[in-house]
Amino acid sequence: MSLLRTLINRSLNKPAIVTRFLCTAPSETTTPTDKQGGYAKAFTKFENLDSEQKVQEPIQTFASLLSNSKFVDLGDPEGKIVTGKIFHVIEDDLYIDFGWKFHCVCPRPKKNGQNYLRGAKVRLLIKDLELSSKFLGFEKDLTLLEADCVLLGLSQERQENKT
Amino acid sequence: MLSNKLIFTKHVKSCVKATYQCLSTVTQPLPTEKSVEETKETNILKHPDYFQVHNLFTVKDLFDARVHYGHKVGSLDERMLPFIYGSRMGHTIFDLDKTAQYLRHALNITAHIAYREGIILFLHRGAQNMHLVERTAKECGEYAHTRFWRGGIFTNADKQFGAVTRLPDLCIFLNTLNNVLLQHTAIRDAAKMAIATVGVVDSNCNPNLITYPVPGNDDSPAAIELYCKLFKAAILRGKEKKKEHLNQN
Repeated sequence: MSLLRTLINRSLNKPAIVTRFLCTAPSETTTPTDKQGGYAKAFTKFENLDSEQKVQEPIQTFASLLSNSKFVDLGDPEGKIVTGKIFHVIEDDLYIDFGWKFHCVCPRPKKNGQNYLRGAKVRLLIKDLELSSKFLGFEKDLTLLEADCVLLGLSQERQENKT
Repeated sequence: MLSNKLIFTKHVKSCVKATYQCLSTVTQPLPTEKSVEETKETNILKHPDYFQVHNLFTVKDLFDARVHYGHKVGSLDERMLPFIYGSRMGHTIFDLDKTAQYLRHALNITAHIAYREGIILFLHRGAQNMHLVERTAKECGEYAHTRFWRGGIFTNADKQFGAVTRLPDLCIFLNTLNNVLLQHTAIRDAAKMAIATVGVVDSNCNPNLITYPVPGNDDSPAAIELYCKLFKAAILRGKEKKKEHLNQN
């Protein structure tokens, strides 16, 4: 009986180190800003704005990054419109990268053709994200390492207000 | 007389005992004195991350470089299933937590081999990123082979090059498939010649023969750029540390 009691006492007396790390300890004294008025609060906030350290981005898990990604937002890629950037031009073929694993290759359109240069932003309609299909006699698909998109035209970009 | 006999027998017994001890299998090896250099070397090797390679990248960096995109489910190799998170609309997605773990391991090995003055060979088969890989190898003072692979480069080296050749100690494959989507011959040959391999394996690749596989995308230029940057940084860290230790001595 006494042994059980000593064991219980010992477990109670031991500081809960693990829980302390997980919880936030409440401050015992009230901070001076609690008693300040609205203007004073704003003043203290903006006083040290220049020396304020950059807020470190919270470490995101892969699962959250994926679920909030644009790829997942896309849903069924067929028929969706995306913006891409031309990264290479060979005569009339435009190599366009739109943030996916593969690029797509589109022919230069006849209207406004000379404006499609390297670095131009374009709008694309996705038909297939990867040109791969099973051929007769093979177990696995054969991939062409390319996406299939229709070039809709140049995207109009509004200038961002620089502050 | 009797006492002499006793002493004699005792002596014989101790001799016999001594020989028995020498011949028997000792359960624990006798401690040998190691030199200071040897202990330092073993400490470096035993350290889980001596070159701090985990600081080189985060999971977010991998995500932004599109490392998690795999091919379509139709071209998935069953041996890659342990590394796959799942599939979205028919496209496989890599589990970046696992990729990060494997990549850290690969970078650690690379840094250790660079520290011990090993030869590192970068291999890549793909016209788009071939020049980048060659440039990366040049910048970190190592070697690259991004052209057609002749049959006996590893297995028949002395005859092919005409003189006694030293083979690489580590082969880093930035993609494991060649132009016709078959496995690169160098993977099999490196395994034959007992050369360690690090390889970026995509969802349609076979990770079996690669010593340190890194499951991830090998088709986007953004992903290849990231791998080049990371391996170069790991090699340079290893070489820097070696220089530091040589200067100390």
